[in-house]
Amino acid sequence: MPEAIVVGSGAKGDGRVSVTVGVAPEVEVTTADPRLFERGIREVVDETLAKLGRIRAKVQVADEGALDYVLAARLEAAVRSALPKSRPIAPPVERRPSLADAPRRSRLYAPGNHPRVLAGIELHDADVVLLDLEDSVPPAEKAAARVLVKHLLAAIDFPNEVWVRVNALADGGEADVREVLLGRPHGIALPKAESADDVRALARLLDEVEGEMGRASRTTWIMPIVETACGVLHADEIAGADPRVVVVALGAEDFTRDVGARRTPEALLFARSMVVIAAKAAGVQASDTVYARVDDEDGLAAEAELARDLGFDGKGAIHPTQIAVIHEAFSPDEQEMEQARKIVAAAQEAEARGLGAIAIEGRMIDRPVLERARRTLQFADRLATRRKP
Amino acid sequence: MKNAVGREIPATLGRRPVEPFRGAFATARTGRKAARPQKSCRPGENKVLPSLDAALEATGLQSGMTVSFHHAFREGDRVINQVMDACARKGLRDLRLFSTALFGTHAKLVDHIKSGVISRIEGSMNGPVGDFISQGGKLREPAILRSHGGRWRAIESGDVKIDVAFVAAAQADPYGNANGIHGRTPCGPITFCTVDAQYADRTVVVTNELAPYPAHPFEIQQGWTDYVVVVDEVGDPAQIASGTLEMTKSPARLRIARLAADAVKASPYFRDGMSFQGGAGGISLAATMYLSEEMERAGVVGSFVMGGGTRVMVDMLRKGLVRVILDGQAFDPVAVASLREDPAHVIMDAGIYANYDSRACATYMLDAAFLGATEVDLDFNVNVNTHSDGRLLHGIGGHQDVASGAKMTLITVPSIRGRLPVILDRVTTVTTPGEVVDAIVTERGIAVNPRREDLKAHFLAAGLPVRELAAMKAEADGLVRPLGKPVFGDEVVAAIEWRDGTVIDVVRKVEAWE
Repeated sequence: MPEAIVVGSGAKGDGRVSVTVGVAPEVEVTTADPRLFERGIREVVDETLAKLGRIRAKVQVADEGALDYVLAARLEAAVRSALPKSRPIAPPVERRPSLADAPRRSRLYAPGNHPRVLAGIELHDADVVLLDLEDSVPPAEKAAARVLVKHLLAAIDFPNEVWVRVNALADGGEADVREVLLGRPHGIALPKAESADDVRALARLLDEVEGEMGRASRTTWIMPIVETACGVLHADEIAGADPRVVVVALGAEDFTRDVGARRTPEALLFARSMVVIAAKAAGVQASDTVYARVDDEDGLAAEAELARDLGFDGKGAIHPTQIAVIHEAFSPDEQEMEQARKIVAAAQEAEARGLGAIAIEGRMIDRPVLERARRTLQFADRLATRRKP
Repeated sequence: MKNAVGREIPATLGRRPVEPFRGAFATARTGRKAARPQKSCRPGENKVLPSLDAALEATGLQSGMTVSFHHAFREGDRVINQVMDACARKGLRDLRLFSTALFGTHAKLVDHIKSGVISRIEGSMNGPVGDFISQGGKLREPAILRSHGGRWRAIESGDVKIDVAFVAAAQADPYGNANGIHGRTPCGPITFCTVDAQYADRTVVVTNELAPYPAHPFEIQQGWTDYVVVVDEVGDPAQIASGTLEMTKSPARLRIARLAADAVKASPYFRDGMSFQGGAGGISLAATMYLSEEMERAGVVGSFVMGGGTRVMVDMLRKGLVRVILDGQAFDPVAVASLREDPAHVIMDAGIYANYDSRACATYMLDAAFLGATEVDLDFNVNVNTHSDGRLLHGIGGHQDVASGAKMTLITVPSIRGRLPVILDRVTTVTTPGEVVDAIVTERGIAVNPRREDLKAHFLAAGLPVRELAAMKAEADGLVRPLGKPVFGDEVVAAIEWRDGTVIDVVRKVEAWE
């Protein structure tokens, strides 16, 4: 008797899809209300099988309220596991590329194999949604997760950026990249980056895969995540390793474990400063670690303010409710905006009058201060003109 | 004939002629209220009877009559089943069951329907009894669903004459004063049925705790009560929460709650003295919590909140964020305890709450309300009664009453539940018409009723994601293939009354699927 391959789970919003090849083809569907849902589920199954190359197989779907793209992903993962030679589905994707310095105040982690949590993940105003294939996905689910993330990327129109955190390249990360690039994320986050070579290896892989896909070269950004003692020491070479790198993130949970520190602001100060300074020296953004206590809004606000004061451009979030707090810390407030407008106006006036020096209320304004004011206004403008949901 | 929301309504329901819904406030009743028979009493009379069977004997309950109940014990109720079993034992048939609501615990009533003990039902049906009814052909006449206020009106007006009212009480004295907040198994207010107790030909208080005279507060008054019966068990207060009171953890649902609270904050109603209705359901509970945080931050003190009493409301009262809780039913044990401890946690009956044919409704004093739905449609109509497969699974509760009273009614719903889109071209059943719904809040944004351009301007000014309902519908529809559609036959299994007694929609039996 040929073996059935089963992918997916019985969790709400998911579905368990079982595929058996080498037997008479048929489709069996169980769902909460067959009269409402069965026809639609069969359509998804038939279309997905056709895209995979007219597969002949017995397919059993146990639906738990899964969206179409979830069912398609479960079925594709099962078929490819049963028939390892079958080619991945390359769904049509339209996604606007993002700017190297797009606002990245928040990066919202989302577990890559958890359909119920992923449903609506684009709706929380996060500057970056980071679909995770690494720590939040158990080893046995890695293959299914990368297929699910690809289908999610293709199905959902993200209002801001969407990135994917892959596994270490030698440990499934290459397969992750090859799969999820079909969904055209804005960038790939590389965990546990420890050297420029780590980053360059990913960059070369992106060159290769993008080339195969016929895309204009170098459209996928890289976010190295520094989360080991070695990574922190090499933050400068990591940040400057490749033009694809637009932001460097710090991961404190792994870092503190690696060095045997407690997770206190003092213990993280050196790593934070190192990451910020390395990123800024390379001309890219820096993003702070996540704050794990979801219910502690005050603690999150304090940590976000500390990160901002150190020079970070954003911070990780593990729950959507953290985003508003993080955005508040990393957005210019009305007072900063007013001051920036004054400085830029004074500079324009000075230029018009042919003056070399800029002064406001008798106080001289240095060039770096002017540059910073311009960046503040540009940042606010980027936020304001960004597409609304 | 078609009514004002475009629904085809039959001319009669059983023997009763039907008045079609004409608009939220289109009718005005004249004439006099119904009344119960006169009866006097003498000093020393004993009202306590040894059993429910004795009470059935004493009240003269006969086949074909109407018995009424309240649902304050919700899933924990033990009285309705006991009384209906006693009726069956006595050989009564063809009874009309007129409970404020039925729950999953009343599933065994299906047997009494099948055997003919119960032949008509009027009242909310949550779960199995409604499911059974929607399969059709089981009751002599279509079931009738009413809102809390609509039910009160139907009794007062004489539309429904109750022969015997059975009032479950957590505590009662031998003279018939009764309440729901004391005793060993307190459930919260039992005041939804004070109208039953006053208008029924006979009123029987059923309690598990007989207290010395006088038991108080007088939710049910001695002068209304004919008999008192002591039973082992009236209900399990642990089950009044019925699972609808878990604070939601779903990010999408929390976002809906956040947007709803932000919408209230952005509205002109967010000010000292504001009032709002929370309610059960995870989203509503979270929205109430978020709003209370905003009130605390802004230093705003509300005049009153209502809805089922919850621990979130009690917190607000104790923090001084609101002056009064008006409470018609308790949704958790914290609220029940607070009714005993907090003088400003006030018991309210359904007449004070929402009686259409009355000189006042507390719901008309509401600024804002968070209400749920099973479906909404592009005309802002709301369905809370049926599912998209045509099954009747929920009562109206106070939905119509609150929506038509509050200055700003927000329907808080996910745009999709599993594979089930919630925003439709036309709702399966109209419970509450779009004319009294101000905005629909989903995780995708806030759709404002075109009648409320003023609110839309406030929301936009606050930077809230104001969206077209059709655009949110298109996004949700894009995630799943179209659903199978039930084809409804002619047989009407239930009618949805508007709060004034007109019929806003009927539920028909599903004949086929396409």
